Amino acid sequence: MSESVSADSRLDLSSGPLVWAATITCTMLLLLLLKQALWLAVPFLLAVVLYYTLYPAVRRLALAGATRETAAAIVAGCFFIVALGMTALTVSWLAAHSVSGEEAFFRYLEGGRRLLNWTLTVLESKFDFLARIGLSAAMGKKSAEFGGTYLQEHLLLGVAGWLPSLLLTPFLAFFFLRDGGRFLKFLGNAVPNAYFERTLYMIERVDTTVHAYFQGLLKLTLVDTVCLGLGLSLLGIRGAFALGLLAAVLAWVPLLGAAIGCVIVVLVTATDFPADPWMVYAAIALFALVRLLDDFVFTPLTVGRSLRLHPLPTVLLILAGGAVAGIAGLIVALPLAGIVLVIASTIGSIIKDPRLRARHAFARKLWSRRVNVDLQL
Amino acid sequence: MVAWFHAKKKTPRLRTLGQLSLFATLSPAELRLIDGLLHERRYLQDEIIFDEREEGQALYITIGGRVLICRQGEAGAGRIAEIGAGVVFGELALLDDSPRSAQARAAEDCVLASLSRSDFESLQDTHTVTASKIALQLARQLARQLRERNPPDERISL
Repeated sequence: MSESVSADSRLDLSSGPLVWAATITCTMLLLLLLKQALWLAVPFLLAVVLYYTLYPAVRRLALAGATRETAAAIVAGCFFIVALGMTALTVSWLAAHSVSGEEAFFRYLEGGRRLLNWTLTVLESKFDFLARIGLSAAMGKKSAEFGGTYLQEHLLLGVAGWLPSLLLTPFLAFFFLRDGGRFLKFLGNAVPNAYFERTLYMIERVDTTVHAYFQGLLKLTLVDTVCLGLGLSLLGIRGAFALGLLAAVLAWVPLLGAAIGCVIVVLVTATDFPADPWMVYAAIALFALVRLLDDFVFTPLTVGRSLRLHPLPTVLLILAGGAVAGIAGLIVALPLAGIVLVIASTIGSIIKDPRLRARHAFARKLWSRRVNVDLQL
Repeated sequence: MVAWFHAKKKTPRLRTLGQLSLFATLSPAELRLIDGLLHERRYLQDEIIFDEREEGQALYITIGGRVLICRQGEAGAGRIAEIGAGVVFGELALLDDSPRSAQARAAEDCVLASLSRSDFESLQDTHTVTASKIALQLARQLARQLRERNPPDERISL
């Protein structure tokens, strides 16, 4: 008897179809909620990255005798001072080089415009109907408007609009560092005794999952940088690895980030090789190849593997996340699904374990008997 | 700012922790660190703390009350030990993934502190010295238990 009862008590967090259905449903619902708080998604993610980066230093200071609050304040303070210093240096550098920077910006923009004109002229010479509708002239006018007005009004203003919410990042990171442990204890205390050890296991796995996700993201960035850098080097493009790194970091925002990265690579190539548009098409082909590899091979093998998700649901979750919550959905769909899967597996294992539920019922009866001891009629 | 790093006075809770054999060799700062990792749990008399053969995730320290260690389903006949305040049990969970070797239930209302295996493992990564002090005390405790279980004439001296 005790053998069979005990055997049921072993940890079995294997994910069944019900757990997966619950995981996908909960992830999509959470993404819908997230869509309403889009401005919070990016600073929250950055704060989590900062938390995992700075947490070892907080623990070191705690060992040196500081309280958790003091250690968090010192580490966060030092980081913010360094970040402010670097920002000030960057701003002063930008101010000193603003004229040449602006010149370079418009030079690259002009390179892109030249490439577009060349492509459209070639197309018009091949297809008469394109020449008849004056595609080249129309697109030339549109591209001039894009460079002059749209880029300044929409893109730059859009970035400026995001900056205030990014200021939330240091505040969130500070409170994660200061109160993270207290929050976990708070969660643990809210759990009945019968489920306590399962909850400990779940908290540990959630922590491992989030940590592994960001490790996977960094690996993905490295792989992307190397692939793009090598490819662009072979094409003879200057600053190939710097461009590769920029594109890989931009790819943290799935689809949109990749598109911006591609545009930057195209502009640089078109400007550096004004007489050879085929070089640009080769760069675009390389970029497309790396993106395909990234979406269907590298991401499932790095980020997907770190979350212990199968490559197929990994790709489907990214697409579904984008459909449900746009850019924020693309960014957070995978880590969110990883966390929800751990929680759903734990709850599933508790539901499937009659011994744990019986222990909880027994503990409730003990409490009930204790509080009702003088209330019997 | 320097005052923040001065050795602080031990609170009653830290004094209690410092008196436990597992943490006896830790400095006040290390005790404070460990205190931050401990979860406090309260159990009613007869409530089960963990089952035999259940996979252990944490060790427990009896802060108050008494705990019965027994064979599963045999609280009377299968009684192995009854432990009081200051005693550590379920410590093998910190060392491996093997199932619990006995059931633990509250012999009377008790307050326990628990240290999870994952916290102990992360301590090994971030505070190697502290973790090794605890591991050494753990090894000493296990050696003592081994000697107590084996009579002197059956012991092999190494």
